[in-house]
Amino acid sequence: MSAVELAGVGKRYGRVRALADVDLAFDCGVTGLLGPNGAGKTTLLRIVATSIAADSGEVRLLGRDPHRSQADVTAVRRELGYLPQELGYPSDMTAFGFLEYVAVLKEWNDRERRSQEVRRVLEAVGLADQATVRISRLSGGQRRRVGLAQALLGDPRLVVLDEPTTGLDPAQRADLRRTLSALGRRSTVLLSTHQTEDVAALCERVVVLAGGTVRFDGAVTDLVATAVGRVWLANEPGEDALVSWRTGTGRHHVVGGTPPVGADPAEPTLEDAYLLMLGHDAHRVHSPS
Amino acid sequence: MSSLSLPASGLAGHRAMALIEARRMARHPVFLLGAGLGFVVLGLYVVLVDDATGLVVVLSLPLLGAFYIGLASVIAAALLTRSTEVAVEAVATAPGTEARRTLALAATGIPPLVAGLVYTLALVVLAKVIGVAPQEWWFGTLPDWQVWSIVLQCPVACLDGALLGVLAGRWLRFRGASGVLVVALIVVTLLGQAPLLDTASSEWRLWVPWALWHTGDNPDGTQTLIAGNPAAYLGYLLALGALAVLGAMWHDRTARTPRFRAIVGAVTVAAVALFVIAATTGARDNRDSDPIPSRVSS
Repeated sequence: MSAVELAGVGKRYGRVRALADVDLAFDCGVTGLLGPNGAGKTTLLRIVATSIAADSGEVRLLGRDPHRSQADVTAVRRELGYLPQELGYPSDMTAFGFLEYVAVLKEWNDRERRSQEVRRVLEAVGLADQATVRISRLSGGQRRRVGLAQALLGDPRLVVLDEPTTGLDPAQRADLRRTLSALGRRSTVLLSTHQTEDVAALCERVVVLAGGTVRFDGAVTDLVATAVGRVWLANEPGEDALVSWRTGTGRHHVVGGTPPVGADPAEPTLEDAYLLMLGHDAHRVHSPS
Repeated sequence: MSSLSLPASGLAGHRAMALIEARRMARHPVFLLGAGLGFVVLGLYVVLVDDATGLVVVLSLPLLGAFYIGLASVIAAALLTRSTEVAVEAVATAPGTEARRTLALAATGIPPLVAGLVYTLALVVLAKVIGVAPQEWWFGTLPDWQVWSIVLQCPVACLDGALLGVLAGRWLRFRGASGVLVVALIVVTLLGQAPLLDTASSEWRLWVPWALWHTGDNPDGTQTLIAGNPAAYLGYLLALGALAVLGAMWHDRTARTPRFRAIVGAVTVAAVALFVIAATTGARDNRDSDPIPSRVSS
């Protein structure tokens, strides 16, 4: 039995179809969700985080149907950590105060143990020295890390992170990767991001969504392999390339299409493979019906 | 799990959450401003208005505390209730339900209640120390329980202010909602009782959230104590506060269990009963004091 099982899951917002007949299962480890804006990533994560219900299909989280009863959803939430795409904070709270508040909601009732746990997650996200600073005075990246810290409270078995790297500088992203890779050894971690390098660096598995459907589901290396032989370095941009740009070396990185004259095959990245997987859809904001 | 049937660990969690909310209220600038103003105005009243006849209109002074502390608490509690909603997606996917968070928010009433009690204590001590005019010293002509019921209306109103703020925070989503509510509260309180005060039906004014029991100085130098049962009215105010909390919890659909509905029904019945008792027992008629010569308007 997988930690997350989705079978034929669909979701609509009025006339807009956000997810259509999605079948996915997730086990221990870190899985990255990639897709253009409007692909259905956030909707999928919100369903897994019990924030919204699917319109159709079956959802089982940690062996339970979260919509069967209040007891079931509560049981799932006891082992869930969720970082929403956009998370606001009460203006009067410090980082420690906010995390303590969430810890209480997560049933850390013993004061001493609760304080220890809050300090642990603050340490994990590198905010131990900012604990007593009001969140309103923290930088965007620091606030994002406070959000991440609340998702890590209690070492949850299921961690859902919607664009956790937004606003983080490279060093902070590296720290985050370290934290999440450690977490992925014992928990099921789902994260959505627009940063393909984060997925390449962190995830064993990647799911590409577009138009509310799954376009790819497999190992990161398998997705990269789909781009072998379709990426070049050339002295001029490819005429019919999917995308090409002039790199810092003066040569053009050409993805897709026919190789320009004198082009040399290049090692594809996950981003190349992702762009080729989606084709021109990668550039479009989806509003599927 | 019903939001009201908390396991032992749930009760511990509720205490912890309530403590956090009470602490936030105690530090809230709007509440601190209101409480500060309440005490400053009381101090000014004592210093500037004191005359040879002693502290004046003691039974009217609880209004000052309720006005400054209670109304500020409406705004502060509403803001606190709304403030965690910015993190609602993360907060709502924790095991604690919205109803439990709301119940914890009821603890925002503790600091205003304490401030109101301190204010009342200060008032009673000042009256004792400074002394009051014999005509105003209702402690001598009314049973103690009635006098205490009137002066304790201040802390209860301060508590209710915060609970009303929680209710407003849950249900009113527009900007400035708590300010509008405060104005509405004042208007309803004034218009709801002013036309009845001088009539033979003055006890039916008691449906309003702040009932006047004492007119202060009349033009002829008398003062009027207004009819009704202040102890039952105090119970009515407490029931209104409980209804405010239950109404705020009602916002969470998962809380609307049969047991919860029964509690809402029972508290509503209790509130109505206490209002009827307040209006039909106690002093039947308004009572005028002897005239105080120094207070006769020229």
